[in-house]
Amino acid sequence: MRALRVNQLHDALGVQAIAQDILTDLVEDACLGLCFEVHRAVKQGYFFLDDTDQESMKEYEIVDQPGVDIFGQVYNQWKNKECVCPNCSRSIAASRFAPHLEKCLGMGRNSSRIANRRIASGNNNNTNKSESDQEDNDDANDNDWSYGAEKKAKKRKTDKNPNSPRRSKSLKHKNALLGPKRRVENQESPCVLLRDEAFPQ
Amino acid sequence: MSKDSQMRAAINQKLIEMGERERLKELLRAKLIECGWRDQLKAHCKEVIKEKGLENVTVEDLVAGITPKGRALVPDSVKKELLQRIRAFLAQHAT
Repeated sequence: MRALRVNQLHDALGVQAIAQDILTDLVEDACLGLCFEVHRAVKQGYFFLDDTDQESMKEYEIVDQPGVDIFGQVYNQWKNKECVCPNCSRSIAASRFAPHLEKCLGMGRNSSRIANRRIASGNNNNTNKSESDQEDNDDANDNDWSYGAEKKAKKRKTDKNPNSPRRSKSLKHKNALLGPKRRVENQESPCVLLRDEAFPQ
Repeated sequence: MSKDSQMRAAINQKLIEMGERERLKELLRAKLIECGWRDQLKAHCKEVIKEKGLENVTVEDLVAGITPKGRALVPDSVKKELLQRIRAFLAQHAT
């Protein structure tokens, strides 16, 4: 009995010793790794690169005050400001100012798209197969003169956000532009019929 | 004694083969960086370099100057955790 217990104790101590040795090896590896890195940095000349004179170090120290970011700049000063729109003379919150200007002045991508779609609704009969092969990227969407890319983009937008509050807005235009939107879903749209007529295949 | 060293060699081999040694190394490295050991030792390196001269410092100088301090500076919590993992590995894979 006692011999067995001594053996077990011996083994347990042995395991401890081995584990300790393995740890020592690992720590030495880590030290060596650091030495090699530092030595290379010294020989290549970049070891002291991040040390400058005390003055500059003070100047660019990280700032840790409330209400201010780490550079010392105030970062929420635009939260409460309001701007007056030069067009409609309304007072708008600063973060909503840019989108408001876009709509108000009639410039920017969205407003020209809306305007173009209204124009295009008059040219319902001009859709044909080649326009469905327009490129799918944002650059193509900027080609406001090509109606096909726009309609395709608008269709994808509505597919993506079926529950967004803007749905009603697009529905307004949907009634004006019957064909292209329902090209795939509804085989009976007048546009599709027209296409088949124009290009019998 | 030779049986002991045989056993140690076998254990080391198993550690390496199973990739556990790499994992332990990475774990140790991460822990040492986290606790600031690396930065402390780097500052000590600067002293050694200033002592020996920037142009003349050799790897041996650094190793001799850094390793004893490095071994001593490892925090106990890190040592404990590593030892735990090593013992778990030994319990699982050694006799």
